[in-house]
Amino acid sequence: MPVPERMLSRIAESLFWMARYMERAEDTARILDVNYHMLLEQSQQTYRLRWEPLVNISGEQERFFQLFTLATTETVFQFLGFHEENPNSIAQCIYRARENARTIRDRISREMWQDINSLYHMVSRFRAEEEIAVGPHRFCSTIKFGSHRFHGVSDDTLPHDEGWQFLQLGRALERAEMTARIVDVEYHNLVESLMPDEKPDNHQWMAVLKSVAAYEIYRRQYHSHIDPERVAELLILHPQHPRSIRFNVATIQTSLRAITGSAPGYYINEAERLIGKLHQSLMYDRIEEIFERGLHNFLTDLQKTCREIGYQIARTYFYY
Amino acid sequence: MLQGYDLGEYYDEMFEAPGVARPHYRKVMDGVGKLAPVEFEDRRQLADLAFLLQGITFTVYSDGRGTERLFPFDLIPRVLPRSQWDKLEAGLSQRVLALNLFLEDVYGAQRILKDKQIPRSLVLSCKHFQREMIGVKVARNIYTHISGIDLVRDSKTDEFLVLEDNCRTPSGISYVLENRLVMTRTFAKVFETCEVMPIDHYPMELINILRSLAPRGTSNPVVVLLTPGIYNSAYFEHSFLAQQMGIELVEGRDLVVDNEIVYMKTIRGLTRVDVIYRRIDDEFIDPLSFRRDSLLGVSGLMGAFRAGNVALANAIGNGVADDKAIYAYVPTFIKYYLGQDPILRNVDTYLCSKEDQLKYVLENLDKLVVKAVGESGGYGMLIGPAATKEKIEDFRAKLIEDPRNYIAQPVIGLSRCPAYDPRTGKMAGRHVDLRPYCLFNGEKVIIVPGGLTRVALEPGSLVVNSSQGGGSKDTWVLRGET
Repeated sequence: MPVPERMLSRIAESLFWMARYMERAEDTARILDVNYHMLLEQSQQTYRLRWEPLVNISGEQERFFQLFTLATTETVFQFLGFHEENPNSIAQCIYRARENARTIRDRISREMWQDINSLYHMVSRFRAEEEIAVGPHRFCSTIKFGSHRFHGVSDDTLPHDEGWQFLQLGRALERAEMTARIVDVEYHNLVESLMPDEKPDNHQWMAVLKSVAAYEIYRRQYHSHIDPERVAELLILHPQHPRSIRFNVATIQTSLRAITGSAPGYYINEAERLIGKLHQSLMYDRIEEIFERGLHNFLTDLQKTCREIGYQIARTYFYY
Repeated sequence: MLQGYDLGEYYDEMFEAPGVARPHYRKVMDGVGKLAPVEFEDRRQLADLAFLLQGITFTVYSDGRGTERLFPFDLIPRVLPRSQWDKLEAGLSQRVLALNLFLEDVYGAQRILKDKQIPRSLVLSCKHFQREMIGVKVARNIYTHISGIDLVRDSKTDEFLVLEDNCRTPSGISYVLENRLVMTRTFAKVFETCEVMPIDHYPMELINILRSLAPRGTSNPVVVLLTPGIYNSAYFEHSFLAQQMGIELVEGRDLVVDNEIVYMKTIRGLTRVDVIYRRIDDEFIDPLSFRRDSLLGVSGLMGAFRAGNVALANAIGNGVADDKAIYAYVPTFIKYYLGQDPILRNVDTYLCSKEDQLKYVLENLDKLVVKAVGESGGYGMLIGPAATKEKIEDFRAKLIEDPRNYIAQPVIGLSRCPAYDPRTGKMAGRHVDLRPYCLFNGEKVIIVPGGLTRVALEPGSLVVNSSQGGGSKDTWVLRGET
């Protein structure tokens, strides 16, 4: 067997960010799509209330209110879907994912490049006004399936070497953080802000589950009406659901190990140490314990750790 | 599609008389020329889509975000019979050998200057003459590993002339290879009947040359392609070639020089680099030696090169050989270094640095093409017969102020080839040139048959550069005469 080449830092970084942007686009599309359809069935009053949390999930409240005064279907879709001044809008994410692909097109497969390039051209052809008029579904499913195809094509055409591991890292890190934000924002919005005599709204929790493709699995697992604590358990601790935090933390650990060659229980860099520690706690924590300590604090810490891991990966592999 | 095609007063590559294709074009005529307009349009759109999806575009940065344009591709191939190509190949080989010997001499013993075959002041005043290169020993004495020689066919004599030499970082070969790929898909049948010589060995020939330059006695040298990055208009070509050759595509920020050795930054630390196929211009390649404000280059690269620890292709300082005033002396080089008569003729050239020639040029500005000597890409040029009075006067002032910087040539009636005009939906004659890509391995010159045929898509235009509205065609060299 030939000796494996050493991968350029810049290429590893581009792979990492390409996957991250693609995931960000997909997650945003999922949240938009599901919420829109759920809200169609709500009263006008809740309708308004419910758009703002979506902006919060994207972490772009400040920018949003610089551009718009009110969070409505149109403004939020415009902002999260297309807006050029929102660096995390879906269109911008696809543009960046493709720019990253462009800088390494000699290193990814021809199929992968053509796929992401044609997704980009497809997205550039969407016109915000037209899409707002027909509703987000058409646009969002293009993105969703574009992202699925991206992963399918890369899994099937790239060698599963270090470069591929960096793709996994980018995707899993983004997804873990996104799920943490969804649980955090929605829990606050749907449970903690309730009046004493109000009951949590089943439809809205269903929407949360659907936005991370977890509705069916919830039904099978819990056979019950929707209980916010169980939703949190599923999204944070489920070992097999591909969008749960624990699942993605496990993926990050596996990919880091594949790169470093560390044996279980050992680490050779800070990113590896942090992910090991986090994974350990997610493996053995019970959801009740997390609630006792405070869900919001738990999720805030978790997001902080994710960011630190991202930083440590960059320090170790991209900018030493 | 070709009914009513007007031959005009120029040499037509395809037709010898109205409705009568030249012998080497007859099969193309049968296959492509007889397509119904609807069928032709279908294939044209398929071809365009293939280029777009593969991202075979060049980037125009005018709106901040960068617009990608397709380099327009015309479906009618440029066909050359074998005998014509053989002569071009011999002429190009001779020319490249002479240019390489000139570079070796001018940065070495300077025999040609001592023998007064070319004015010393003309050579030393070249914008691209690099003093840093004097006395530098380059790997295997190769300077022009890759050169692109621009040829045009003069309608007066039907003969190919050399219009200019590009010995620095000529681009376009990726279009040659991709055009061919799209053509074989779009017109598989026609292609099959024509017996066209293959070109897809180019990346292999190039990588062999690059590997042979490695300074260390290693069986597995690290070769990289250095690009200015995705904002460069030729970025597609850089990544394409890196991929085809299976080498790393690097940017300046990926490389560091330590103790006159070049390394690239990998996720497992620094890896030594042996050979760099650089697609960054001399001025930007090393901020320590050339332009200090360059963010694209690698500090200390020139030092590593001089020390012989890394090979560069092409060498630094090649611009002295493709300066448009030096061009006039290339036939002299061929005689002086090779003792041969030039196989391919130059276009007559007036050096404005010579007083009598400047006088003639100034008197005939409205009839001549004037070019700045160090420019390329169709910039800094005056086409007298097509220019406004203001532009002519503007150039007159420039010529008087800085005569060394200009040459003039008679307007050459470039041959034409049918090309599709989307505005009329018909074929029309458009002027073409030809840029073959010549590889030099230290012993012989290797040229993949054909090259890039560029076509001026604007009616009547003589400027074929992509930045000025030019497109391209696939170039077919036939195995035989028909």
